[in-house]
Amino acid sequence: MKIYTNIRFLTLVFAFASISIFSEGRDASAEVKIVTSIPDFAAIAKEIGGDKVVVESLAKGYQDPHFVDAKPIFITRLNQADLLVYNGLDLEIGWLPILITGARNSDIAAPAALGHYNASTSIKNVLEIPTAPVDRSIGDVHPGGNPHYMLDPRNGIPVARGIAARLIRMDPENASYYEENFKNFASTLRLKISEWETELKPFKGTKVVTYHKMWIYFTKWAGLTEAGYIEPKPGIPPSPSHVANLIKSMEKLQVKLIIAANFYPEKTASLVAEKTGAAFLSLPVLVEGRDGINTYTELFDAIVGEVTSALKDKTGSVKDSVYRHKE
Amino acid sequence: MNLRRTTIVLFALSIVSSPLINHKAHGQERDEIKQELKELKQMMEKMQERIDDLEERNHVLEQQAKDEAETIEVEEETDLTVIEPPSEEGQTFLGKALNTLNPEISVTGIFAGAWYSQDDPFVFAEIDPQNTGVNVQEIELGFQANVDPYFRFDSFFPITEEGIEIEEAYGTTLFSLPLNSQFRVGKMRAKFGRINQIHRHSQNFVTLPLPAAQFLGEHLNPTSIEANFLVPVPWYMELSASGGSPEVETPTFARDEDANDLGRLLYIFHIANFFELSESLGVSLGGSFATGSNGTAPGARSNLYGIDLFAKYRPLRNNPYQEIMLQSEFMYLDAETPEENLENWGWYGQLVYRFAKRWNSGFRFGIIDTNTPVEEEKEGLLVEPAGTFSLLRDEEGEEEGMLGLLGRTYRISPMLTFNPSEFSRMRLEYDYLNQSFGPNQHAIFLQFQYAIGAHGAHRY
Ligand SMILES: [Zn+2]
Repeated sequence: MKIYTNIRFLTLVFAFASISIFSEGRDASAEVKIVTSIPDFAAIAKEIGGDKVVVESLAKGYQDPHFVDAKPIFITRLNQADLLVYNGLDLEIGWLPILITGARNSDIAAPAALGHYNASTSIKNVLEIPTAPVDRSIGDVHPGGNPHYMLDPRNGIPVARGIAARLIRMDPENASYYEENFKNFASTLRLKISEWETELKPFKGTKVVTYHKMWIYFTKWAGLTEAGYIEPKPGIPPSPSHVANLIKSMEKLQVKLIIAANFYPEKTASLVAEKTGAAFLSLPVLVEGRDGINTYTELFDAIVGEVTSALKDKTGSVKDSVYRHKE
Repeated sequence: MNLRRTTIVLFALSIVSSPLINHKAHGQERDEIKQELKELKQMMEKMQERIDDLEERNHVLEQQAKDEAETIEVEEETDLTVIEPPSEEGQTFLGKALNTLNPEISVTGIFAGAWYSQDDPFVFAEIDPQNTGVNVQEIELGFQANVDPYFRFDSFFPITEEGIEIEEAYGTTLFSLPLNSQFRVGKMRAKFGRINQIHRHSQNFVTLPLPAAQFLGEHLNPTSIEANFLVPVPWYMELSASGGSPEVETPTFARDEDANDLGRLLYIFHIANFFELSESLGVSLGGSFATGSNGTAPGARSNLYGIDLFAKYRPLRNNPYQEIMLQSEFMYLDAETPEENLENWGWYGQLVYRFAKRWNSGFRFGIIDTNTPVEEEKEGLLVEPAGTFSLLRDEEGEEEGMLGLLGRTYRISPMLTFNPSEFSRMRLEYDYLNQSFGPNQHAIFLQFQYAIGAHGAHRY
C-alpha cells in the first residue's frame, strides 16, 4: 500500500515533467519581443527592427551598468522575450545571470539559443584582455577584456549586424525589411564616424584623465591618450593620496581634460579639475544617458561634441595664458 | 641578440688574442696580425650593421602586426543570413582557458571577533559567533554551472568547526514549461520568507534574526522537489510549492520516525510579489506556509506561517550608491505536541542605509514570544509550564532539542559596515538581548568576510 502510494506520486511527477518537456511552452506572436541589458542595444534594435519588434532595455542609460538591481520584474520581462541582447564580457555578471535563470525561457537561456545574443561575440578586437593570470588585488578586473566596447562607435556596426542576422533568422518573412534597415543604419553610422573623426583630428595625442577604466575604446578611436584615472584601481573609489599624486602628474603632463561617465560621483573629479585647471566633463556613456539622446549616433554627437568643444576651450585658454605670461 | 653579439665578440677576441700571445716578438708577424685585426674589425662592423638592420626590420614588422590587429576596419555589409561565428580573434590562451567547462567556483570565509557579557552566552543560530574570542563563522565552497541547455546546478558546502555540510545542492530547469513553471530538485534553502533564501555572506547583520533562528534553524533546507509558477499578472508574482524530506536542522520540523506517509513529509508554499512603484522604489511582499511533522509524537504536526516585506529605495539618477532597504518578517508557529498545542510567534524589522559606495549602517529589532505566559521561580530559573515547549528526543530517547519557547526574548542590533570592495567586508555590530527568563546579554562583534573566485549575481 505504501509502495503503491509512493509509486503513484512519482509517476505523477514524471508524467508532468515529461509532458512539460515535450510540449511547446510559448506561442509565437506577431512582433518579436527584444529585451536588452543596456539601452545602446535597445536603440540599435529599434532601428533594425522598426515596427516589427518591441524593444525594452533593463538598465537605464543614466545608471551604472555594472550595478543594476536584479529586480524580479525583469524576470517577467525576460520570460516573455524572444531575443535577449546583452553586452557580455562580465559587464552584467552581478545581475543578469540570476535573471536568466529565473526567466524559465528556453528561447533565451542557453548561450547557443537563437534568442540569446552576447553582443561581445561580434566584436573583432576586444581590448585589455589580460595576458597574464588576473588577480583581484588589481581591482575588479574583467578577465575577458574591457567590456565597454560600445564606446567605440565603429563597434555599433557588427552589433547591429548581429541583431539583424538574428531577426532575419527568427522572422524570415521580414528578412528584406531588416536587411534594408541594417544597411541604412550602417551607412549612416559610417558617415557619422568619418564626421566625428574629422572633428577629433586636431586633438590627436591630447592627454586625458578618466574616472573609471572604461574609456579605452573611445580614447583609442578618438586618438586621445589616457594619462591617469580618478579611480586608483577599477572599482576602487579614490583615496586622498591617489588624488594628490594624480594632481601632481596631471600638472607635469599638462592634462587639460577629465572625463567621467555621468553616473559616477562628480565631487573628486571636479575637485581635481579645479586644482589643475583642467576641464571636467560628466558625459553620458549610454543611449538615454541624458534627455534627448535616443539613438546611438546621438550619443556620439553628444560625447564627441562636448569633448572637442572642451578641448578647443582649453587649448585656447592655454595659449592665452602663455601669451599673457610673456607680456 | 645581445647574447649573440657577446658571443661573436668573445670569439673574435679569442682568435685575435691567440696569435698575439704566441708570436709577440716577431715584427713582421705583428703587421700581419694588425692586418688581420683590421679585417676582423671590418667584418664585425659589417655584422653589427646587419644585426642592427635585422633588429630594425623586425621591430617594424612587429609594429605593423600590432597596428593591423588594432585597427577596426569599418566593415562592409556581408550576407546577413550567414550565421555569425563567435569572434576568436583577440582571444588569448587565458581567455580560452577561462571558457572551458569548469564550474564557477567560489569560496567565502566569514570570521568574527566576539565579546559576550557573560559566560556560556545565549546563541540562537549555528553560525552566529559562539563565544568570546575569534570565531570561524563559516567557510563556504560554491560550485555552480549550467549542466546542459536544460538544467543548471548550484551547490554550496559550508565548512564549519564541526565539519563539512551540504547547504544547497540542487538542479533548476532552464527550459520553457507550461504555466511558466520551473522545477528545482535537490537540497535547497526553501522559499519560506526572505531571509531563509539569503546566504549568510549576503545578509546585512552578523547574527541571524531571532525568528529565523528560532523557527527555521540556521536555514530551512529540506531535500525536496519544488515547483514554482510565474503568474501572468502585470506585476511579478511567483507561486511555489515544495514537498520533501523533513531531514532539516530546525526545531520546528523533524522526521516522523514511524511514518511512511506522504502526508507527513514537509510541504512548503510561498507566494512572492514584487511591485515596481517607481524606477527608484521597489516593494516585495510575500506569504509562506510550511507544514510537516515535528517529531514530538507520531502524527504531531507543526504549521508555520510567515509574512515577508522588503522595500528598497535607490535613486538611479545622481546618487548612484545611496540606498535604503527595509526588511521585515513575521512568523507564527502552531505546533501539536503530546501535551498541548504550542503557539509561538516572532517578528523582526531591519533598516539598512547605504550612505556611500562602500559604507552602510543598519538597525534591527527582533522579538520571539509565546502566547502562553511563562512563570518564573524566585531564583530566576524557569518553571516548566505545560504548553510552552516540548523536549525533542532522538532515537535513543536522549534529549536532543526543544520545540517552542521559554518566554519572551527581544534583541536590538545596530551595525556599521565597510566594504573595501565587492569582495571583502568588515562589520561592527552590537547586540543587546533581553529575555524574560534570564539575564540581559550584551555582545559586540567585529566580522570579516572574504570572497574569492567567481563573481556571483546578487539577488534583489
Ligand atoms: Zn568596467
